[in-house]
Amino acid sequence: MKKVSHSISKCILLAFSALALPTLGYAQSASEDTLLMEEVSINAAGLSKSARKIGYGTSQIKSKAISTSGESGLIQSLTGKASNVQITRSTGDPGAGAYIQIRGQNTITGSNQPLIVVDGVPVSNSSLGGGIDGVVQQSRLNDINPADIEDIQILKGAAAAAIWGTRAANGVIMVTTKKGKKGLNIEFSSSLSLDEVNREFEKQERFGQGVNGAWRANNALSWGDKIADRSGTDKVNQTGAKFVSEDGSVQYPITEKGDKTIYNQSNRDQVFRTGVTWNNNISISSASEKGGVYFSASDWNQNGILAGNSDYRRTTGRLNFDYNVNSQLTLSLKNTVAKVFSNRVQMGSNLNGLYLGYLRTPSDFDNSDYFGTYYNAAGVGTMNSHRGYRNYMGSAAPTYNNPGWTLNKQVNTSDVTRFIVTPELQYKWLENSTFIARVGYDQSTDRRITYFPYRSAASASTGSFGDNLITESELSMHFINQSSHKIGNKINLDATLGYLYTDRNFFQIGGSAINFIITDQDRFGFFNATNENMTPFNSISRTLNDRYYGMFDFDYDNKVFLQLATAAEASSTFANRFWSPSASLSYEFTRDIKIPTLSYGKLRTSWGRVGVAPPAYITGTNYVSASSASGWGELLDASYFGGSIYRSTTSGNPDIRPEMKQELEIGADLKFLDNKISIGATYYTNTINDIILATAVPASTGFTNKWLNAGTISNTGYELDWNIQLMKKKDFNWNLYGNIGTNRNIVEDLNGSKSIFLAGFTGVSSRAVEGEAMGTLWGGRWKRNESGALMLDAEGFPQPDAEEGILGDPNPTWKGGFGTNISYKGLFVNVLFEACQGNQMWGGTYGVMNYFGVSKETGEEFIMSAEQGTTIKDYDGNTAADWVDPNSDGTYTVRGKLEDFGGGNVWLNQGWYTTNGGGFGPVGEQFIYDASWFRLRELSIRYDLPKNVLRALHIPGASIGFTGRNLALWTNVEGLDPETNLTGVSNGRGLDYFNNPGTKSYVFSLSIKI
Amino acid sequence: MKKYSILLSTAFAIMLLFNACKKDMTEINATNPNQFSGSEGRLMITGAELANVLVNGGEAARMAGIFSGYFTGADRQYLSLHQYSYTAGDFDNVWGTLYAEGVAQCRLIKDRAKASNDMVLHSVAAITEANLLLTASGLWGDIPQSEACNNGIAEPKYDNMDDVHAYCIGLLDSAARYVAGSNAHSGAYEGGQDWGQVAATLKARALLRKGDYSGAAAAAANGVSAGKDLKSNHSADVPGAWNLYYDFCYWNRGGYMTCENSYLSTLLDSASTTKRHNAKTNEDARFAFYYSSGTADNYSTRDPNYLDGIFASANGFTVVGYAENQLILAECASRLGNNDKALEHLNNVRTTNAGTFANGLYDAYDLADFGPGKMVQGTNTTEALRMEILVEKYASLFGQLETYSDLRRTKNAIGVPLNTGTQMPQRFLFPQSEINSNSKVPKNQLDKFLPLTYFQ
Repeated sequence: MKKVSHSISKCILLAFSALALPTLGYAQSASEDTLLMEEVSINAAGLSKSARKIGYGTSQIKSKAISTSGESGLIQSLTGKASNVQITRSTGDPGAGAYIQIRGQNTITGSNQPLIVVDGVPVSNSSLGGGIDGVVQQSRLNDINPADIEDIQILKGAAAAAIWGTRAANGVIMVTTKKGKKGLNIEFSSSLSLDEVNREFEKQERFGQGVNGAWRANNALSWGDKIADRSGTDKVNQTGAKFVSEDGSVQYPITEKGDKTIYNQSNRDQVFRTGVTWNNNISISSASEKGGVYFSASDWNQNGILAGNSDYRRTTGRLNFDYNVNSQLTLSLKNTVAKVFSNRVQMGSNLNGLYLGYLRTPSDFDNSDYFGTYYNAAGVGTMNSHRGYRNYMGSAAPTYNNPGWTLNKQVNTSDVTRFIVTPELQYKWLENSTFIARVGYDQSTDRRITYFPYRSAASASTGSFGDNLITESELSMHFINQSSHKIGNKINLDATLGYLYTDRNFFQIGGSAINFIITDQDRFGFFNATNENMTPFNSISRTLNDRYYGMFDFDYDNKVFLQLATAAEASSTFANRFWSPSASLSYEFTRDIKIPTLSYGKLRTSWGRVGVAPPAYITGTNYVSASSASGWGELLDASYFGGSIYRSTTSGNPDIRPEMKQELEIGADLKFLDNKISIGATYYTNTINDIILATAVPASTGFTNKWLNAGTISNTGYELDWNIQLMKKKDFNWNLYGNIGTNRNIVEDLNGSKSIFLAGFTGVSSRAVEGEAMGTLWGGRWKRNESGALMLDAEGFPQPDAEEGILGDPNPTWKGGFGTNISYKGLFVNVLFEACQGNQMWGGTYGVMNYFGVSKETGEEFIMSAEQGTTIKDYDGNTAADWVDPNSDGTYTVRGKLEDFGGGNVWLNQGWYTTNGGGFGPVGEQFIYDASWFRLRELSIRYDLPKNVLRALHIPGASIGFTGRNLALWTNVEGLDPETNLTGVSNGRGLDYFNNPGTKSYVFSLSIKI
Repeated sequence: MKKYSILLSTAFAIMLLFNACKKDMTEINATNPNQFSGSEGRLMITGAELANVLVNGGEAARMAGIFSGYFTGADRQYLSLHQYSYTAGDFDNVWGTLYAEGVAQCRLIKDRAKASNDMVLHSVAAITEANLLLTASGLWGDIPQSEACNNGIAEPKYDNMDDVHAYCIGLLDSAARYVAGSNAHSGAYEGGQDWGQVAATLKARALLRKGDYSGAAAAAANGVSAGKDLKSNHSADVPGAWNLYYDFCYWNRGGYMTCENSYLSTLLDSASTTKRHNAKTNEDARFAFYYSSGTADNYSTRDPNYLDGIFASANGFTVVGYAENQLILAECASRLGNNDKALEHLNNVRTTNAGTFANGLYDAYDLADFGPGKMVQGTNTTEALRMEILVEKYASLFGQLETYSDLRRTKNAIGVPLNTGTQMPQRFLFPQSEINSNSKVPKNQLDKFLPLTYFQ
């Protein structure tokens, strides 16, 4: 094996700085390392290979770019750094998972997440959980300490995936961790990050709780009276019931509402705080001819922006060790262990969720006293009572949680232990031939506790507890033989033969308990419920894969490179072995043709086909415990009726075959003006056939779904990465860099189904729709005539169409990152902008805020003329004169707004917003927004202390830095950062419904080398 | 030599690893360790029955109840529903329950029962299937039957409403032979029923829809007798076992659906100008059983009584009952010109009312009580009596689906006020899931105001 030296290693301080900021090489490393002639890439087998010789599109990201990003998670740190690698964080919760999409989506109900390979072994990046409610879970890849990463190579195409097979159809992210470096290097680094909420919804502050213009206690809505017209103080009845909160303040039943105070700001301050993160890292490394060692320990301790049980603490340790027994034999061992403890906050379509209770709170309700003792009229007290705007006396659980309760009383922990062990043996058994045996073992356990105390809202009002232990493990064995051969004078052949075996296990066990016996002590145990209120569950799954492959790299005269690869794969989920061939060809034409100003030019093309094994257990139809539910939550579960096991409503299919992806890629890498300008361009097109889906079938067949090889998807896209060296002097360097990617995804065929539900609600969902892009937003629309004009009712209001249809596309037309970095002596500055354009989202939160009359829009007041006041009607057929008395000049001051849908002005008020015009009405169409965004993703500045100062301090290196993340965001979406997804890392995209908000961060860092 | 020893030990280490770790590929996923791959008919029937309860007492009943003046859509999506605003997607769920969790299972159970010659189980499954299909046909009209739940057919055709009814009557007739006097396989029910009687009342229900009064009367003659209602069992006090109205109206979707200003409540409310109270009738106790208000657990000034009345968590929901059967007999007698018989059956119901609503008053009526200027007003005795029968049925079947059929069949003879517009929705829409992937959906029946064949 060739020894390779990374260009960056010459700057030792920087190379070791866990928090180091942009370096001279930043731009190249951030965007397009493959363009650099002497740069080295990791090929698909996890072996080093000169980037020039690779004929398929890859992106390489170096340690600097990861550590300067200031992100807790490895995944998030990749954002904006490579073309057509789209990273979408689920929410701004600490440690929240993120969705990775490389060159579009490749399957419909299976996973679209790429395969993660760390130090040559596949590891888990699962993100289990993620529906329309609950908490946002983590991505397991983020268990790895970003400071341990040497580099990340992203293999995008099917040709690159030939080695890894079935799981690589969505691309491969190859992570290489650090090795020991010469001498003794010890480095401490520390950073402090301050996080703020990025975008917030505005709420109206003119009208109070209630309906029909009148205040009404405990009412859900804010369609009540005008607050300014009130007397000034509440009249209360102090003789009967009362609520005494923790701090001693007392609430009495209100007999007449008079308080004019607006509580929007204090209610807001109850929910948000400045998130604080301390990140400390130490690494020690050393190396000699006999081998090297790299040790690190890190602690990321984050308190989120939500002012309660929202935190994330990750402690990691790593020891990478390699030892050269002799010139032929090298043994190495890479170990990492991580402990991740986190508190999550309930969100989404969830009466116990944070934003739901917070944003629906009327502006005249004070959320501060949420916990205390309720005394009924007879003076009998109930401890641990919960007070919220849906039950302001706390006499019973409120319909929605008070946000204070959600944040401080509910508990949702995740306690993860993760370790990855990778022993490896390399034996150069012939002069031209090396054998590698590598074993990887990755195991994680995640214990998740979900605790809703007695008096939490809705179905948790009598208490609810869940405990779930999830264990995932993956054992892989990888045997590789690599040999070099000379064929004649000009041809070199590198032959790689390999065998890869993986054994993946998933096991979870847990239970739930409801109806607590003791209600005033928080105990996370099942003993606090009677037998009939406990439900245990467990499940296991195991899949095996093995794969023989051969990869042959021909090099003709060091300018034409051909790679042929093939693999035969078998899976326990599919009996027959299937083949994945691939080929790539590149030609460095500047070796033959000299073109002025063009210093380097390479054309490349590749083709590959990769099969995706079916998921386990779909060949047969199951018989399951019977249960029927309506979609509103109410259900009949046969286990309470003596039990019943009947046929599943999803039909299995014994004839299921692997999914097949084929991809063709053409590209060029060009450098101009002595490599000052480098450009990489790629076009690709792929088709995925035989996509396996639980296709929705007409229920009249007796099944609601059937597993079929039913779908076809295609992706076509362009990618461009560039770097421009504006200045390269001894003390002054200036680069412009960037990338842009487009992807057009089309669901070509769904075997007759018009659409397939991916995620969301009965009303609005994200679906696969034939002829449209994956994730298409789907739901109720306005009734329109053939020319597309609204069909209005007699009064001039639009009407819902009886059939649902396409509402929008959550996929961007293009996405890109653009930046610049400048270094002047010891000062380094990096600026990265990121853009995502042409995507749409469903603003479910906004629609529902309209329904409740809490949105800014619904709090407006306007004046109708005397004539308008008696002629213009609202949705219920009333005029302003029916609602209010005229002003002294005969005009009417009314709430809402006038709108002309095409049939003359109509008055939009409570009657409209609470029916067809609101988020609970049948028409989702009106809440589809252009969710394009452009943001200042990263602004970082670092200063390396000059040599004379270092000498005085007797240390070899030190630096201080600042990174700002998400400092500026330009978008038309109101109230939230559109980079969010209700259903987390699922294939359903573009949904917002009371998601927890996104953040911006200010990171201050210090790094010292001793 | 050293070289070979390294080579050998390497090879040996690999073999060790490999043998320890490698498992046989194909064995691993042959059976699903988390699920069963088969079941017995007797273990499947409860699931199908629960699907039947959910179809007859769940979302469909609530929607029909809002159209029928039983309930008031008061919050969120139910406000739109109250304005008769609904779309095809609203029916995916109930349709899935009906066919995949109901009809399909019944047919599987029948196959298994036949194979083991268990005609009682076969008949209970057949009655459940007929109940499901009759409910469906009453809401959608033409529905898949002959090609439904048949593995070979991907797009089942829609059978004519009349054919569906005929098929169901056939099922009921043959089932009744085996289960007279039996209450076997009552997993989802309280168990007081006599399956033979249930089959007869279901048949009478089907024939009444069609206007076959003599046929309906003949069937109902063997129908459900007093105290033998088919009622769902909700004795376990946990989510998943409760009365569905309680589960929806109180537990899961508090405030979505109330009875504020609902027509039925104004008939029973002694404070209302349209009250039914007269010298022989006092509805106060029934009113209290049906509605609740004024407690901390209420969501409105008049909620369906999910606290201690008809929809209390443990209270059984009547799927097929005595009152319906008697009032079918009463209406048929009236339609066939026999007022004495009609009155007798009406009074039967009043007698049970008096038992159920202990503080109410339901003295037996005489024919002399009906007519112009009489206790029960009407253009003549016959009309007044028939109207009283229809209104009593409307009041007795609170929360049940069949009222919606009665209202459409009688062209809303009892005068339930419309929530909006000029007509009551005439049908449920074929679900979006069928429109999406079954080309056989009758394209000419997608209008919610198009009456069903039987109700034209």
